[in-house]
Amino acid sequence: MRLLQKCCVLFLLAAALCCSACDLDSRYDSEFFAMDTVMTITAYGSKSEDAVKSAENEINRLDALFSVQNEDSEICKLNRSKSITASPDTLALLKRANEVYTLTDGAFDITAEPITRIWGFYSGIENRVPSPQEIAGALKSVGAEHIKISGRSVALDKNTSVDLGGIAKGYSAAAAAQILREEGIDSALLSLGGNVRVIGSKPDGSDWNVAITDPDDNTKEIGTLAISNAAVVTSGGYQRCFEENGKIYHHIMDPDTGYPASGGLKSVTVISRDDALADGLSTALFVMGFEKARSLYSENSALFEGVFITDEDDIYITPNLKDIFSSQHNYEVIEI
Amino acid sequence: MKNRSWIIIFLFVILLCAGCWLYITYPDSREEVVGIYQNGELVEKIDLSCVTGQKKITLTGKNCKNTILVSAGNIEMESADCPDRLCVKHGPLERGGTPIVCLPNKVVIKFEDDSGGADARTGG
Repeated sequence: MRLLQKCCVLFLLAAALCCSACDLDSRYDSEFFAMDTVMTITAYGSKSEDAVKSAENEINRLDALFSVQNEDSEICKLNRSKSITASPDTLALLKRANEVYTLTDGAFDITAEPITRIWGFYSGIENRVPSPQEIAGALKSVGAEHIKISGRSVALDKNTSVDLGGIAKGYSAAAAAQILREEGIDSALLSLGGNVRVIGSKPDGSDWNVAITDPDDNTKEIGTLAISNAAVVTSGGYQRCFEENGKIYHHIMDPDTGYPASGGLKSVTVISRDDALADGLSTALFVMGFEKARSLYSENSALFEGVFITDEDDIYITPNLKDIFSSQHNYEVIEI
Repeated sequence: MKNRSWIIIFLFVILLCAGCWLYITYPDSREEVVGIYQNGELVEKIDLSCVTGQKKITLTGKNCKNTILVSAGNIEMESADCPDRLCVKHGPLERGGTPIVCLPNKVVIKFEDDSGGADARTGG
């Protein structure tokens, strides 16, 4: 009888132990649509469900501010009325966008919205090749000099419109990651439509493996990065594009020419601790092309790392990725 | 007697823990199971290895209508009446590839167990 009692007590203890072990490993996943893409958040820890829901709410809140498709968003109001008193988040993001504009000598430009629009790269609009006259007309309102910020007041010149799509996911990933950390999450992975942000390491202590999609075959990968506490963002012209008269036109516009960027790159992946910077830079480096991107890296190697795939299928990585990048393909380490 | 009872208890706890560990880590064989989701809700789960013949699934949303074509070992978006039709251009769902996504109609088609390889994928 005593043996039975002991068994019962130990069974309860073992069950409690198992539950606490499971609790440490408890995982919560969420998949949702925001910012015109599919997003997933995976977090580990006893408070993972509440934390992920808070992070999701934060992304939806920011989407409602930044969306260029939602008539009620602050950005749509700015584009419509050309003047707003901006919320702290919109103001902060506009300033971040301006920083990336300056850093990249205008290759990242949120005022390229009219160009993207005439090429039909917004939901509900058919893709088409605009006439040179249309492009020249749209280019007149492109450039950071057409945005005036004073305190919380933001004003645009008459025909200028902005689209924060090239940096909003990065900003939102950082905000969501901050919420997850504040809610006690030490291990999480966020994928905001291909913008990846990892918090800490995996629950077993190993690095997260982030695959870079092969631009020529989206079922394959060109390599994998083993990372912790970093953002990884890729820009390429192979997912959103259309064909007209046998020619492929992609969605990343060169704000200088008004045509899809043709810098000789198929894909650029940026790795950084700074999500918004990684997001904006991936677009900018794609526009700039490999040589200018390499030059920018050599002057700012503390800010980011990169993986570049050229039109000739050559793969280049920045020096600090040597130990964390693996690939079955041949690749070259950039010399700076 | 006292020692013997502790040994039994010890073995009991070990067995219990081993059982829990096996339960948690035992892989389920869902390699060909595909989930069709709309607005984040599961619409239908299909084991492609069990499909014979052809089947069409129509999903209607606020913005457009999708028709999904399912055949033996294969699933793809046959048609969509949204302007860009990226989901149709995606082609068949392939293991290791990206899910089929229709943004206007908030439809996602993906393998239920796609855990092989990397933890996440980045692409442009």
